[in-house]
Amino acid sequence: MKSRSILDRWFESSSRSLAQRTSRRGFLGTFGRILVGASVLPLLPIDRSGSASAAEPPLKKSVTGDQSSCDYWKFCAIDGFLCSCCGGSSSTCPPGTTPSPITWIGTCHNPVDGRDYIVSYNDCCGKTSCGNCFCNRNEREKPLYRLSVNNDVNWCMANDNPNYHCSVSLILGVAEK
Amino acid sequence: MRVRPLSTAGIALSLAFAGSALATPPPLPAEHLVVQQLPPPTPHWVYVYDTALDHETDYRVHVFDGDRGTLLGQIDTGYYPGFGLSPDGKTSAVATTYFSRGWHGTHTDVLEFTDNATLAFTREIVLPTQHMQGPPTPFSVTYSSDQKFIYVANITPAASVTVVDLAKGAVAGDLETDGCALAIASGPRHVSALCENGKLLTITVDDNGKEASRALSKSFFDADKDPIFVQGVQVGATLMFVSFLGDAYGIDLSGAEPRFAAPWPLVTGAERGKWRPGGSQPVAYQRQLARLYVPMHRGTEGSHKIGGSEIWVFDTDSHKRIARWPFDTHRFLSIDAVAATRDAKPLLYATTDSADLLVLDPLTGRILRVARKVGQTPWFLVTP
Repeated sequence: MKSRSILDRWFESSSRSLAQRTSRRGFLGTFGRILVGASVLPLLPIDRSGSASAAEPPLKKSVTGDQSSCDYWKFCAIDGFLCSCCGGSSSTCPPGTTPSPITWIGTCHNPVDGRDYIVSYNDCCGKTSCGNCFCNRNEREKPLYRLSVNNDVNWCMANDNPNYHCSVSLILGVAEK
Repeated sequence: MRVRPLSTAGIALSLAFAGSALATPPPLPAEHLVVQQLPPPTPHWVYVYDTALDHETDYRVHVFDGDRGTLLGQIDTGYYPGFGLSPDGKTSAVATTYFSRGWHGTHTDVLEFTDNATLAFTREIVLPTQHMQGPPTPFSVTYSSDQKFIYVANITPAASVTVVDLAKGAVAGDLETDGCALAIASGPRHVSALCENGKLLTITVDDNGKEASRALSKSFFDADKDPIFVQGVQVGATLMFVSFLGDAYGIDLSGAEPRFAAPWPLVTGAERGKWRPGGSQPVAYQRQLARLYVPMHRGTEGSHKIGGSEIWVFDTDSHKRIARWPFDTHRFLSIDAVAATRDAKPLLYATTDSADLLVLDPLTGRILRVARKVGQTPWFLVTP
């Protein structure tokens, strides 16, 4: 039987562990190195057909700047309550909660600067669900057998208090084209 | 004083009042509080799994009678539960999480049992704190066909399966399934898991619930280009899954080794990529009719959790689409989950993004009954 202590060691620091230990080693091994400091990231092997183009009409404020809107560009694979509606922001957990050390990963297109960014969707944990600003966007999201890119499971699962409260979206770096 | 003579109508009215006063019924009898007894179970009961999204420590399963469209009762299911029915339909099994102080405190995972004849809690078996806190699936808590074991899917995020011996009331062991998730029971001693590389891991357990052997199949789907939804259905001896782009994948788990059928399309070439399966439970099967029901929507990459604006109906023998049933998306928003009863006079159930439960004629798609607001987020359905 697996013990929590073994798993704690396995996932002792962050999503880096998860990224480096999945079988998508070709990508995620590279990704793991990126997480420890590189600023330019490789582009995920994904279909970019949905990306915005210069020919498209001007984007709404909700896409470019409203962090309480599901349309905000950084939330392209977020599934949960926006921490920006729960006392935090798109990159901070609300007071009294605890960040999840493990996470799922997305690649989102920022229409303001035209870049693709690798985004880490951490959950904020330790209080019951916030209930505000539920968003469910799933660009390049995969079922739970592809855990590192799945947003259905409770990413607070390894916290001392695994209650899910809300989700943030952290920029890890630019995805290399 | 002049008295105004009563008209004929006035006389009639006065007499009516007088008669009414004379005929005042006796007071209602005193009531005695008792517990409502459940009617005998029928194949038309449906267990509606409610994630109670706004207060997730408090998931529940609502039990509905599809013939009347009425709520029969509730099973409380804790935090992020897995839910499964015993093969005989008599017992509900729930693998879930509790905290000793409600939202904090000691974290305990437990397998709880409910008697479906009374909806009363019957017993519990404490689990390691590792059960999968994830979306509802048919493969989160499953029974061996002889009801000797229950398999509980774990993600910590390392994946494994806990084997529970029901006669002993204790955990029998833990099966490592690294890189493969879920607990798909087949026969008395097999449990399988879907793998991130599109393969199927099958573990055989012995009569003590310990691993006897394991086998990893070839890849049978492309998890990058066209992953399959994890909510599969049993179609005879075949376990069937549908993929994001709309192919149906069948696995026959009745033999010593899994056999994979050639996938068949739910969409035409012109529809592919435009019409997609979606929702939280995007496939149902009715065995007497040999029909597959799939909520479909106009979508694109990343739309796989959007429910159907239509249900498409397929003949599982001929693989032909035989109907498209559009729904009132203004009223119901979308079809999120579907399930069919298993009897000879079947019903089809669907829950919607408006949190309603639809009872449908599985031959025509006609809405027979609508139960409004059957929970907060009723994302999964189980039929006995």
